Amino acid sequence: MREIVTNGLFWLLALGALVGAGTVALTRDVMRMALGLGVMLLALAGFFAYYGFGFLALAEVFVYVGGVLILVLFAIMLVHRTTAGRPELESRSRIAPIVAAAGLSALLAFMLQPAAALLEPTGVAGGPAALSRLLLGPMLLAFEAAGALLLIALVVIVAVGGGEAE
Amino acid sequence: MSLVLVSCAIFGLGLYGTLVRRDIIGILASIEVMLGGPQLLLVGLGASIDHSAGSALNAQGIALVIIVVAAAEAAVGLALVVAVARRTRSTRLDDLTEVKG
Repeated sequence: MREIVTNGLFWLLALGALVGAGTVALTRDVMRMALGLGVMLLALAGFFAYYGFGFLALAEVFVYVGGVLILVLFAIMLVHRTTAGRPELESRSRIAPIVAAAGLSALLAFMLQPAAALLEPTGVAGGPAALSRLLLGPMLLAFEAAGALLLIALVVIVAVGGGEAE
Repeated sequence: MSLVLVSCAIFGLGLYGTLVRRDIIGILASIEVMLGGPQLLLVGLGASIDHSAGSALNAQGIALVIIVVAAAEAAVGLALVVAVARRTRSTRLDDLTEVKG
């Protein structure tokens, strides 16, 4: 019974992630694209919680759904405010991208299959206290670099976006 | 195995969107989708490998760094989009030919 529920939850999250990703890739409506991105990011956060990474799931929701997605919506509103009617996304010819994306995905799945077959997710993971010890211990350099990157990004955003509109 | 398939499918959909879109915002959103696939695989496999070696924690730490880097990338990218749209009144890649050789 527990296995059925676990498998059902996995495939429910997978369905959400794939539908969201498909909407981002295929829809012509720019607001639906943003909505699809939100669904996919929420499904990813659900996956993180599914594997026992509660803090990571919260970080995903706060940073991506609460931050990046709102940023995307603001960018859409700022950029498309002068265009007449409902904004639509254009796409190029589809045959070559389909072949490239499907081929690369199949190749990756084929190459990763042997490694994944050896692994069984256990759903056991460390909590925030253990993560903080990791970030301020062995991963201190990456943690500091990420902080510096955020500071640089902030400066770049102010420099690039702070000018007057023409 | 199903985790690998789902991750690769998400990555493939993101790649397709990146290749097919003409609008910069659409491309940025597709890149975020592309990042989601490997991130999911990293976390899923990190929860599977020997926990005594701290692999689950390492996967969590690396995934957290990926989230930060992706957030910074999206923020800078969207700031550039807004700046470009102010200048050219368009976000279509085909209209951005100023630095074309």
